[in-house]
Amino acid sequence: MNGTARTTDSGGPIGHRYILGILLRLLINFALGVGVLYAILFFVLSKPLAGEYAAVYHQLRGLAAYMRPVVTVSVLAYALLASLSTAALCVYILHRVAGPLYRMERVLEEFRSGAATRPVSFRHGDQAGQLAEAFNTWVGALRQDRGRFLARMEEAERLCLVDEATCRAEMEKALRQVAEELARYR
Amino acid sequence: MTRPQRPHRRKIRYVTPRLQGGAALLFTAVIAAGGIAFGALAGKVLRRMLLSAAVRGHYPMRSAFEIVRDPLAGHLAALFAGTFLPAAALFLFLAWSARRGIDRVGQALRASADRDLSTPTGVRGCAEIPRLGELVDGARAETLASLRSIRSEAENLAGDGVPAEEFRLRWDALKQRIRGIAP
Repeated sequence: MNGTARTTDSGGPIGHRYILGILLRLLINFALGVGVLYAILFFVLSKPLAGEYAAVYHQLRGLAAYMRPVVTVSVLAYALLASLSTAALCVYILHRVAGPLYRMERVLEEFRSGAATRPVSFRHGDQAGQLAEAFNTWVGALRQDRGRFLARMEEAERLCLVDEATCRAEMEKALRQVAEELARYR
Repeated sequence: MTRPQRPHRRKIRYVTPRLQGGAALLFTAVIAAGGIAFGALAGKVLRRMLLSAAVRGHYPMRSAFEIVRDPLAGHLAALFAGTFLPAAALFLFLAWSARRGIDRVGQALRASADRDLSTPTGVRGCAEIPRLGELVDGARAETLASLRSIRSEAENLAGDGVPAEEFRLRWDALKQRIRGIAP
């Protein structure tokens, strides 16, 4: 069973390039959110102040009175926009980590249920590739041991064609060898 | 001969609510906290600036935006820094925690290949990784229990005193159990 997992750019479970990519996207996302907030406030406050002193005075007083609701509504729009885009970012980017973890969980549940386990492989670009590699290596080692135990027992069975006493002695020897090998598991 | 067409499978992006949904909720909380702070501080400052400009009596500006432009820019810069920096720190913490957890699970699986099935993964942290650690520990513990039981049966059978007929039956049953290792 060969490891079909791909290593990440840093060799670690989650690549540095992947982390930097998410940070960059978060930066752009938050900057766009603030940009939208700026645009809303610019749109509300950039109306020309027309008229003489009294008119301007009343316009400024009126704007001051509405400042709190204007800021509240703009902040709500900003929060909604930024939250939605960040949530979308989390879903569309973090699935590169969440997907392999979910896949490993399913494979481990299958393994525990006693069903036949196939080699684990992740999608191209997925993170945490070392998990698949390590799991495949473990299952491979178990299967190698299983093959060796069975080969030893079948070898002993072949000697049963000689005579009964040799057969029994060889079978007991094989059993002792299997038990010795199994004793290495801790 | 044409190659058989592979059935089109829809890409599933939203895999686990615990990891992706949890991260989205954390970032939303940061954005909401930043928005509330901005709304409270900027609302008050901008209102005060407009009132102060209204009573000044001399209006060189063409719009209200010219009055509040500088403090607004300052508050928006603070909002950006106040949301992006905690969100980045939070994300780096999550990534570090996930990396450490995945590393530990990987180490436990590699140790299993060297026949160490009892050292626990010891994964703590948030989201999905501790659950994966528990599953790996469970799988290793069950495998170890099964191997110990096979070993005990092999030792018993290798000992003297088992009648030939019973020996053969137990031998076959043991072979069957060995075939069940990592099917």
